[in-house]
Amino acid sequence: MRKFIPLFSMALMLLITQQLFAQLRTVTGIILSSEDNSPLSGVTVTNVETKKSTTTDEAGSFSIQGAAGQTLLFSYVGFSSLRTPITNSDNVRMTLKKSAGSQLEEVVVTAMDIRRNPRELGYSVQTVKGSDIQETQRENFLNSLQGRVAGATITSTSGTPGASSTIVLRGFNSLSLSNQPLFVVDGIIIDNSTIDAVNNVAAAAGQNTTSNDFTNRIADINPNDIESVTVLKGPEATVLYGSMASSGAIVITTRKAKLTKGKPFNLSYDNSIRFQSLQRFPAAFNGFTQGTNGNGNSAIFTSFGPALEPGTPTYDNVGNFFRTAWGQTHNLGVDFGAPMSSFRLTTSIYDQDGVVPNTNLKRLNFKLTNTTKIGKYIDITPSLAYTNSDNKKTLKGAGGYLLNLYLWPITDNAIDYAKENGKKRFITNVDAADNASEIDNPFFAVNRNSSRDKQDRYISTLAININPLSWLSIAGRFGYDYYTTNGYQYRDPQSSSQSSLANLGSLDNYYVKYRGYNHTISATARHTAGKWNGRLTVGSRWNQTQTERYGVSGTKDSLRIYDSSGTNPLTRTRLSAAKYGQWNQYLLKQIAGFGEATIGYNNYVFLTASMAFESSSVLPKSNRNYSYPGASLSVMMSDLIPKIKGSALTFWKLRTSLASTARLPDPYLNQSNFIDVSVSSNVAFPYQYGFLNANPNLKPEKQKTFEVGTELRLLRDRISIDMAYYNTLATDQIAQSFRASYGTGFVLNTQNNSSVRNEGVEISMGIDPVKTKDFSWNVQFNFNHMWNKVLSIPAPIAQSGGDYYDASTWVYLNTRGGIVEGGTTGTITSYGYARNNNGDIIVDATTGLPTLDGVFRVHGDRTPDFTLGTINRFKYKNFSLSFLWDLKVGGDVYNGTSEYLTINGKTQKTADRLTPRVIQGVLNDGLQNTDNPTPNNIIVTPYYNNLYYGSTAMPDEDYIEHDVNYFRLRDISLYYALPSDFLKRNLRGFQSLSFFATANDVVLFTNYSGADPASNAGNASLRGVGAVGFDYGNIASPLSFNFGLRATF
Amino acid sequence: MKNKHFINSFLVASIIGATIISLSSCSKKLEDAYLNPNNPTVVPIEQLLPNVISQMSATAAPPAGGGGGSYGPQVDGTNIGKYIQFWNYYSTGDVYDQMGGPAPGATDALGAIWAMHYYGIGQNNKRIIEWGIEQQKWDYVGVAHAIFAWSWLTLTEHHGEVILREAFNTSLQQFKYDPQPDVYDTVRVICNTALDYLDRTGDSVSQENLAKGDGYFYNGDVNKWKKFVYGVLARSYAHLTNKTVYTTNNYADSVIKYCNLSLATNDDNAVQKFSNGGTSGTSNWFGTFRGNIGTIRQSAFIANLMTGNGATSPFNGVADPRTPYLLRENPNGTYKGILPNLGTSSLSLNDRPANFWGGLFSQTTSSQDTAGRYLFKNDAELPVMTAAEIQFMKAEAAYRKGDKALALTAYTNGISLNLDMLSSKYSVRVAADKQITPAAKTAYMSNPKVVPTEPNSLTLSHILLQKYIASYGFGTEETWTDMRRYHYTDIDPATGNQIYADFTLPSTIYSYNNGEPVYRARPRYNSENLYNVPALQSIGALENDYNTKKPWFLLP
Repeated sequence: MRKFIPLFSMALMLLITQQLFAQLRTVTGIILSSEDNSPLSGVTVTNVETKKSTTTDEAGSFSIQGAAGQTLLFSYVGFSSLRTPITNSDNVRMTLKKSAGSQLEEVVVTAMDIRRNPRELGYSVQTVKGSDIQETQRENFLNSLQGRVAGATITSTSGTPGASSTIVLRGFNSLSLSNQPLFVVDGIIIDNSTIDAVNNVAAAAGQNTTSNDFTNRIADINPNDIESVTVLKGPEATVLYGSMASSGAIVITTRKAKLTKGKPFNLSYDNSIRFQSLQRFPAAFNGFTQGTNGNGNSAIFTSFGPALEPGTPTYDNVGNFFRTAWGQTHNLGVDFGAPMSSFRLTTSIYDQDGVVPNTNLKRLNFKLTNTTKIGKYIDITPSLAYTNSDNKKTLKGAGGYLLNLYLWPITDNAIDYAKENGKKRFITNVDAADNASEIDNPFFAVNRNSSRDKQDRYISTLAININPLSWLSIAGRFGYDYYTTNGYQYRDPQSSSQSSLANLGSLDNYYVKYRGYNHTISATARHTAGKWNGRLTVGSRWNQTQTERYGVSGTKDSLRIYDSSGTNPLTRTRLSAAKYGQWNQYLLKQIAGFGEATIGYNNYVFLTASMAFESSSVLPKSNRNYSYPGASLSVMMSDLIPKIKGSALTFWKLRTSLASTARLPDPYLNQSNFIDVSVSSNVAFPYQYGFLNANPNLKPEKQKTFEVGTELRLLRDRISIDMAYYNTLATDQIAQSFRASYGTGFVLNTQNNSSVRNEGVEISMGIDPVKTKDFSWNVQFNFNHMWNKVLSIPAPIAQSGGDYYDASTWVYLNTRGGIVEGGTTGTITSYGYARNNNGDIIVDATTGLPTLDGVFRVHGDRTPDFTLGTINRFKYKNFSLSFLWDLKVGGDVYNGTSEYLTINGKTQKTADRLTPRVIQGVLNDGLQNTDNPTPNNIIVTPYYNNLYYGSTAMPDEDYIEHDVNYFRLRDISLYYALPSDFLKRNLRGFQSLSFFATANDVVLFTNYSGADPASNAGNASLRGVGAVGFDYGNIASPLSFNFGLRATF
Repeated sequence: MKNKHFINSFLVASIIGATIISLSSCSKKLEDAYLNPNNPTVVPIEQLLPNVISQMSATAAPPAGGGGGSYGPQVDGTNIGKYIQFWNYYSTGDVYDQMGGPAPGATDALGAIWAMHYYGIGQNNKRIIEWGIEQQKWDYVGVAHAIFAWSWLTLTEHHGEVILREAFNTSLQQFKYDPQPDVYDTVRVICNTALDYLDRTGDSVSQENLAKGDGYFYNGDVNKWKKFVYGVLARSYAHLTNKTVYTTNNYADSVIKYCNLSLATNDDNAVQKFSNGGTSGTSNWFGTFRGNIGTIRQSAFIANLMTGNGATSPFNGVADPRTPYLLRENPNGTYKGILPNLGTSSLSLNDRPANFWGGLFSQTTSSQDTAGRYLFKNDAELPVMTAAEIQFMKAEAAYRKGDKALALTAYTNGISLNLDMLSSKYSVRVAADKQITPAAKTAYMSNPKVVPTEPNSLTLSHILLQKYIASYGFGTEETWTDMRRYHYTDIDPATGNQIYADFTLPSTIYSYNNGEPVYRARPRYNSENLYNVPALQSIGALENDYNTKKPWFLLP
């Protein structure tokens, strides 16, 4: 930490030695946009004579030294510059006009809430407007980013309300740690964790990341409060956020009051009424009755019995199960106050049922933001946001509703899941035995097993900007983020998962308290000398998070008490610290000092160098301090090369950057702990080390990225292109819980020993094919192609050709997200067919069925060939229409749902079971590896031998679907705004009024056989690559249709 | 105006100054947040020692988050006991009865000592040393060294080459094997270090405090720990009888010297006691609660030896008074045993011995702890090293040196100590009329077939067979080492008879052995065969008959 003190001293000296201009006075003012009179922040204000310059703050205000008669130049990318002489008035008020044809975002909010001129940036950033996000009407704003940002992949776990979403920028760099970016709201780090049922709250068996999903917490943000979202993809953009942003950062700017003189009050209201309906289902097949090998047996669920007799009464259980789910959203926003101190108050009510019975999400948001100017130099922006959400969930995956819904015989009306006495109705076992074991009827599952989470969240932030001198600005960002989650997962006494518990239900209660505090204080000095322009930022950041967890599990009878008092005290198990009567604590404290210096020449070459020093409580004292540098270069070719600029080429920038960063493990992962053992002893609690070597010598993971890119605007800005190539090398990766020789003294090990190289190309392109007064058409493309290679995994695994995997991805039979040396990060490993040296399937010489290899080998790769998001926006007079097509080409998906249902005779794959066949292969007769293997000639009729479809003859390999493409209409919105003269005449008081209709997940074209190829069999809590691309017991994203109005007063 | 600028500059300076000051207090804040508050990462060494000690016999599977099975010499000893024919499998087809195994395949059998040493004792014992030095508890540091010396020696004699130099390095992914002489040298160095620490007094050394950790072993008596260390030193020389250095360097003198410093009375015996608290971890490995030995029955070899039915045995015709303690009767009321790999086929129904818990021959599951004797009870004390063993070691060394008189004295002491140990500790459930009375002891020991009157009549057979009996049940590793030294069936040139008189190799030798008897155990499968293959390859441990390859300590 001492290392960066000199940096501070340097800054301090810079401040003190600066010459003062006695004859100058301070001129202040405000700059507004001619479009909507909103304040423009980031406008460069230059005193033409003194060459001093400053930028406007969030409220559009600036202050600069000047003398009467001198000229101020206001310049802002995308706007026409303006010159004005300084008069005797202290307060300047200017309106800037948008220049023709401009469409790139004008200012970019980068790390540390710093607004920067895009000309300077040597790396790629992409900004999504808040209005685009709001237009999609999606509850979790992350889901609205898919397709809108090149290089961002967002996967929603499931189509139920409150489902978590995973976001990854530029692919998976870390095999074991989180690959999700950091979330920063108005300069404050905000938590986006998802509860990991296994590692965070599991006090009992039955909790796993497959069956229970928890909202990723950034979804607490009210989408309506978002002004813009800037995506910083690489570490070069986020070097200043340190290790937490090693996977990039999502920088959110929230809306502030926009008051103009003479209008101290703005009111806006919008609403949306919505219904959702499930449109896509796995193709089920119901041609045969229950039984095995063609023999009927109503006591089992596998449907390998005789064919269904025509005329047998059947029931549409699937149709009866899913429902049309209604929901509504109301948003109210009020701006009030005066320009010197303005307030914005927003409230939002969201209430949405899920298409699965008994699922619902209710969310209430409040936010109050104030912006106050204190004196001439200081402005502060305090805010307080409150979110309350209540999520009723059902369990998914194995033991959830979906798999059993399809498995359920259609000859039985599943909706009658209970008997008259309220007990479960069994269909295969003797009904009298109330505690008989039988898979859960899906209606029983959603009505009797339940899970529910309630959250309260408070986020308070304070931004202070001090601009004491024309060349100096000091910024402070202070934030406090507090939330509690109380939830439970309940399984009914008669649920199949409970049958062994002597007819008792189980209740798992979990309580999470999160407190995060962070602040960033930075000082930025600017100086211009002739054609040279310099900027130096130094600062420090403090970040601490404390997560407290308490988990209680126990058995309970059917009494419907869902807090932990409902469990039998004798059966309660708790998290480890409960032994000492405490909550489990996870503390993280980090301090960082950073500096960034930019030197610009003639406003067309910019060189930036940055350095960050960080210390973290996660690591032991000896390796607690680490640092990482970054550098970038931006060259405005269109200005550098004479006469190149014209109507054909209006803007051309080349950029390159190089940066490194670190990635930290979770707290305590480097401290092996003792567990108490039962052994003859004179002392209470004799101890020994547990299995796990939580290695005390762990270092942070290292990551280096090189990026090169260009930005072009052509044909009077009708076409804009941004291209980037990046190359990331992540080394010293922490492999967790891998087995090695007991020579370490442990069974499972944690070491820095894996590495990955990740490369990709991103292209965003905007085109304005038509642009007239009444009609305009804008298209934007976001293209992304990534490739990567796993350079090393733990040697003990690699040496035997094994796979390094996260057990949470091993959701069904023998398929998992296994990673092998030399493969990609997205590989899927599974059991496959046993084959001879020639590659022929080896067939059992007596049964005629294939044999399996019984080892995990790579059989798939989830990495897509490319993705392309296409956004079209049409505007005709007062109508506007926009829609987003999301295309993914390539990438494999494991269809576990199909495997489960095939094994049980319920997929189309089993329809031709009466057809005799000979499996192409060679007999396992000892000749299989000779020159003359015996070709298989054994005829199998699966109807009479349903082992044909079993997991011992049809390996998981067969359920990994290759090159899965999809083309999906994610969002489509139609708006109609009433003309303002109509409003003036007929609806006085309305400033604007528009109506809209929006639909989500409307159309999906795919070669995937299941319901939805964008699936996650785990949830967003998984680390590493997770279970994205694993489909097991999930429903598709339902079609949503929203309509509503939007009004301002 | 100037004033305002001054204020501004002052403001800036103060903010930055305050930031710098706040930074210096941050270092402490970071340190405060480092340690894991949810699970103990540092515990009193008094709470670590009991488990480390329990590893020296056999541990139970720890609770969730702990190791995955039972570790320790008794776990492997259940199978090693079949090699040395303490007992054999009650039926046919057992790999260990055939001196095989574990066959290359997915089994951790014979890997319990490996797990005991590297996982069970390893890092735990290292923490005792590390924190014991910090806390100046030299007695704990000494005891931890003593246990390491014992476990390194036990480990290398079990497996041959093992991971020595790179052991316990948590940052390595692969581990090299070191030659056995290096391990022997290390054992002796650790023994000397242990003795140095055990000699230290003052600071935080206290018998009362050490008794917290070794309450079920030596109860805080460092002098006994020292004797235990000398015992390990004696073993480290006594086991090298096949090497030329044994004679050229007069190792027999070293053995005698260290035996004289080692366990002298039964009170000195290194014994794991059990609190019998109704859990596996507090119960004897051989008891009914843990139920581990339901499929083994006493061998014909031990039964014949003790009943005087060994044809070439020096004790032919002598009924050993210890028989009712160690062995089980059959329905005929006699003591008979089974042959390796032949199960019941060698005995008629009424000749088949009861199981070690007193149940029927055919009964393989445990019932209540009502009939087990000797070690085969839930609360029975389980020796790790005894004074009798030390005397027999001394007798063998003296015999080899040619000091037959000394050999005879030590031999006589050994028998006497063992009889005393049984009569004082293990008489429970032995019928009153079959207990070892002083008269019975005198009668046995005055039999010239047992204790020759003339020193020159003493043979290696006497010494090693009495040591075999005195180590019965618990001394599997030491006995295996002895028998391997004499290649199971070596002939005593002095008598022309087999030293282990009447001992016969199993009629069927496991196919992988290529006809050879077993000389070592493979390294633990789930540690090495899966995750340390290059190292196994380098020592040839991937060969099918690796278990027949004689380790260095047996070679000249």
